[in-house]
Amino acid sequence: MRAGKFIQTIFFTEIIKGMALTLRTLFTPPVTRRYPKVKRPVKPGFRGLHALAKNEEGKMKCVGCGLCGAYCPSQCIYIYTSEGEDHKKIVDRYEIEVLRCVYCGFCVEACPFGAITLSEHYEYSDYSREPLYMTKDKLLANWDRYFAGEKGLRYFRDFWRPKAENFSAYEGQAMFDKVKARRKEQK
Amino acid sequence: MEDIEQTEKTFETKELTISMGPQHPATHGVLRLLLTLAGENVVKCTPYVGYLHRGIEKLGENRTYLAALPLTDRLDYISSMNNNVGYVNAVEKLFGIEAPERAKFIRTIVAEMGRISSHIIWLGTHVLDIGATTPFLYAFREREVIMDLFEMLCGARLTVSYPRIGGVRNDISQEFLDELYDFVLDFPSKMDDYETLVTENRIWKDRTVGIGVISAEEAINWGLTGGTLRGSGVDYDVRKYAPYDAYDKVEFDVPVGTNGDCYDRYLVRMEEMRQANRIIRQCIEKLPAGPVMADAPKFTLPPKDMVLKDMEHLIHQFILITKGPTVPEGEVYMGTEVPKGELGFYFVSDGSGRPYRMRVRAPSYVHASVLPRLCEGGMIADVIANIGTIDIVLGECDR
Repeated sequence: MRAGKFIQTIFFTEIIKGMALTLRTLFTPPVTRRYPKVKRPVKPGFRGLHALAKNEEGKMKCVGCGLCGAYCPSQCIYIYTSEGEDHKKIVDRYEIEVLRCVYCGFCVEACPFGAITLSEHYEYSDYSREPLYMTKDKLLANWDRYFAGEKGLRYFRDFWRPKAENFSAYEGQAMFDKVKARRKEQK
Repeated sequence: MEDIEQTEKTFETKELTISMGPQHPATHGVLRLLLTLAGENVVKCTPYVGYLHRGIEKLGENRTYLAALPLTDRLDYISSMNNNVGYVNAVEKLFGIEAPERAKFIRTIVAEMGRISSHIIWLGTHVLDIGATTPFLYAFREREVIMDLFEMLCGARLTVSYPRIGGVRNDISQEFLDELYDFVLDFPSKMDDYETLVTENRIWKDRTVGIGVISAEEAINWGLTGGTLRGSGVDYDVRKYAPYDAYDKVEFDVPVGTNGDCYDRYLVRMEEMRQANRIIRQCIEKLPAGPVMADAPKFTLPPKDMVLKDMEHLIHQFILITKGPTVPEGEVYMGTEVPKGELGFYFVSDGSGRPYRMRVRAPSYVHASVLPRLCEGGMIADVIANIGTIDIVLGECDR
């Protein structure tokens, strides 16, 4: 033991081992990305910029119940409603202060109609506060921009839970057996 | 020549008081230390906290139990998953509900992933402070994998808000489990890499062995927990002695040190990462089938697709979100083992949907208070080693 330590002290073995490791790593592919040029692909279900959903007829799904505003932990959702004909509720203004939002996604969970969602868009920095104060029109435009077509319909079904299946065991639940099966296939 | 002799005769040695931080990169955030120095020796060290105070305890009292969850992300922001797990466990204890088995296993998996990612940051920054750049880069490479897995799981990388009272937000997907298993199999070799670079390195040993020594008895008296306490040889781990979630169903060892110096605390945390990896592996292999949300409609949000089909679920949705759940009166304390130590949540409930008092027992706050004990009498360079080794995050310290 003592001789081993002596050899280590004289010949710098632990330093050489470390240097060998860094030399080996030199020949591995880089893990970094040149960000503004090469964009990082986000995973489906990412919690990014908000959007107000539209139904098949192209009308806003939101009915102005105010649950999202009540649940919001940073209290950044403002909803103003008025009474229309036949005592119908009309959403006059629906505003989100994006700078105060913490992207927890609780508004999406609170909404009983699936009217608000978080898109996968995350690059929206700006020089002033005004463009980041989302009004109803901007939020509806976000839906057209980021959820056009099939994606919007699929979005709630796939990513925004809790769904009923989470309250009971179901087929297709992620299990270790399937991991093992996949690894065998790969071999 | 005469001048020098004259100077030597009249030269006065004075103690110098300097302010280290709050913008010092080695203070891991906004810790400010007021150091009184005699030459290079630290005579007196006084930590000042409060530069990151956001009033999380008070904010928690103004939100319902369900809506206060994202606040806990901002406590210890590099292991937000562990804080969430601690919070939901405390609230569940207050409500008297229990998460289903599968949810408990998933929580254990994500909490241990959070522990690995937190310890990886600790390793990278601690080693970087002391002077080694390479392990920092390697550490962040592995952390990125965990962050990607978190993003796949819940859509956010850092402020996850994934667990929910009575379970978890959504079930894990098969791709997540696949990729996590690949990571688990791969991780021990990465750990070997870190150890090759650091553990036996003579510079590292010179800087840490015998620095910041604190005896077991003293460590207990200072109220230390977690890796900082175990480095002094006290075998205390909340996961082992008051198991929550699925920790009583998995096997793991609690590493303890002997000398209570920086080097032992380093060894303890390195071994903890290996043990966390072992826990994740066991949890994946034992993961049971079943629901991931408790069947407690008075306390948990109903399934989304049932809200518009069923009147009762719709009522529950509205009541829970606007008024909050109806909670039994009483007090509850629940401690959980987060990477930094024991994170405790203490609730006083007056029967309404919001806590009357929410107190957070943050390990970093206690650990910051021990800094004078570790630093005084040492050199100024050792202050950096001591700050790194007690592993504090100021978001949690100031709350």
